Amino acid sequence: MDSFIINLDDINVRKAKSLLLEGISLSVSRNEFIGIIGPNGAGKTTLLNVIAGLEKFEGTLTLFGHNEIWRRSRETRLRIGYVPQLLQIDPAFPIMASEVVMTGAIGRLGLFRSPGRQEREKTMQLMELMRIAHLAERPLGHLSGGERQKVSLARAILQQPDILLMDEPTANLDIAVQKEVLNLINEIHQRENLTFLFVTHDFTMLPDAMQRAVLLNNGKIVFNGDIDTAMSSEMLNRLFHYPLEIFERNGRKFISYD
Amino acid sequence: MTEHLIDAFTYPPIQRAFIACVLCGASCSLLSVFVVLMKMPLIGVAMSHAAFAGAVLGMLLDINPVLSGFTMCLLIAGVLGPLSDRTDMAPENVLGIMFSFLMGLAFLGMGILTKTKAVALNLMWGNLLSLSQSDIVVLAFITSLLLLFVLLYFKEIRSVLFNRQLALLSGVPERLIYYTLLFLTGAVVSSNLATVGGLLIFALLVQPGATALQLTYNLKYFFIISVASGIGACISGLIASYIFDLPSGAAVVLMATIIFAAAYIFSPKRRTAKLIKRSISHENDTR
Repeated sequence: MDSFIINLDDINVRKAKSLLLEGISLSVSRNEFIGIIGPNGAGKTTLLNVIAGLEKFEGTLTLFGHNEIWRRSRETRLRIGYVPQLLQIDPAFPIMASEVVMTGAIGRLGLFRSPGRQEREKTMQLMELMRIAHLAERPLGHLSGGERQKVSLARAILQQPDILLMDEPTANLDIAVQKEVLNLINEIHQRENLTFLFVTHDFTMLPDAMQRAVLLNNGKIVFNGDIDTAMSSEMLNRLFHYPLEIFERNGRKFISYD
Repeated sequence: MTEHLIDAFTYPPIQRAFIACVLCGASCSLLSVFVVLMKMPLIGVAMSHAAFAGAVLGMLLDINPVLSGFTMCLLIAGVLGPLSDRTDMAPENVLGIMFSFLMGLAFLGMGILTKTKAVALNLMWGNLLSLSQSDIVVLAFITSLLLLFVLLYFKEIRSVLFNRQLALLSGVPERLIYYTLLFLTGAVVSSNLATVGGLLIFALLVQPGATALQLTYNLKYFFIISVASGIGACISGLIASYIFDLPSGAAVVLMATIIFAAAYIFSPKRRTAKLIKRSISHENDTR
């Protein structure tokens, strides 16, 4: 059990008498890349929020070998990074892209310490890695959706977490931009020793580095295993209640639907 | 004319009014940065009515109105924070309910107030020219607390202003910042009942921040522009009220509106936003 970085045992989340998550048990090893896939309203974001510490729950949650409730210590929070869905922001909001990335370091710095040269250098390195270094001095509200998501990724990594939670990071982006962001996610998984949890309802756009799929429906885990098995017509039909067909070309799986 | 003005400055009430203008402008406009960027203009309304209701109740019970106003603000801040964090109620609704309840309370107090109502009414629009030494001392203390808060926690403030949830998740003491802010809002609003009053303070809690929003993308300059325009509105309003014999609170608010309108018309940000829009549509056309 100690080898698991995240361990959920019989987790329930209730809201207004309905169960958003029911009997969720899931173990995640260090450096694993897990996809949490399911239709809208399946409870994917709720599950992510339980791990992030935004949602009250019943059951046992173990993070880094310690039992946790929804309130977290600063130390635990620092070890969990979060990339939200596309950030909506007022175009006039006074914050530059590099300043947004830098906010990832604020918690770690602690009170009364300003970001120094080290943080600034790391910020620029990450922005270069994300190919957005040229946008450093642009207001965040002026960036495109894809650029804003790359800023979000850089920000989460600057926090130096052990776990990176991603809530539909490619939703609402053009296909080419989705692919670009996914490639960056693959690249980060290779470079950094991070455990990834990637939530999506779009099973046609999965990052190549993903190792395991957890299929979620109506607040329950309906499948937990390798991606190939998960991506079968039978499984996906059950999940999305829609006839889908899987075919292979050049070793890659494709999905077709009417 | 100028000689006449300079002459006026030798009178202690005018000197006090001038100092109060600087303090009131600075404290309200520092707060207005939060009000505007966190999109919570109703918080100013709710707080100013809390202060007003508290002050009226204080008069009824023979307590110092500033003290009772402040106590009421703190109470409301204590309720407002946890309530607006609840996901089953929109913060706007919470504030709306709070605001109307407090207004009802204030008018109820006014109704049963047997003493002269003029003093209570004064708390609604304030009077820069009838301030006491202790009013100024309290105002100066609260303003320096707020300034210290902004200077000491600037990087946390930036992170919370940008996104409260992300700030919390990345280990920033978001609750500490948010609750300190609510506490300071209560303090600033209640200590300014005497200067611009409970009704008109709302304008100063929104307009300086809205002015800065037209002019800069840099948060540091945002605070500076906001404070400068707030102090500018207060001082120019005071001078206008002296020259044209107008109620000072009203003159200050009108000046703040004029400054905002000028910033809006000459906003370089609006111009670049238009340019960006045009270049994007041009890019799409040429594709």
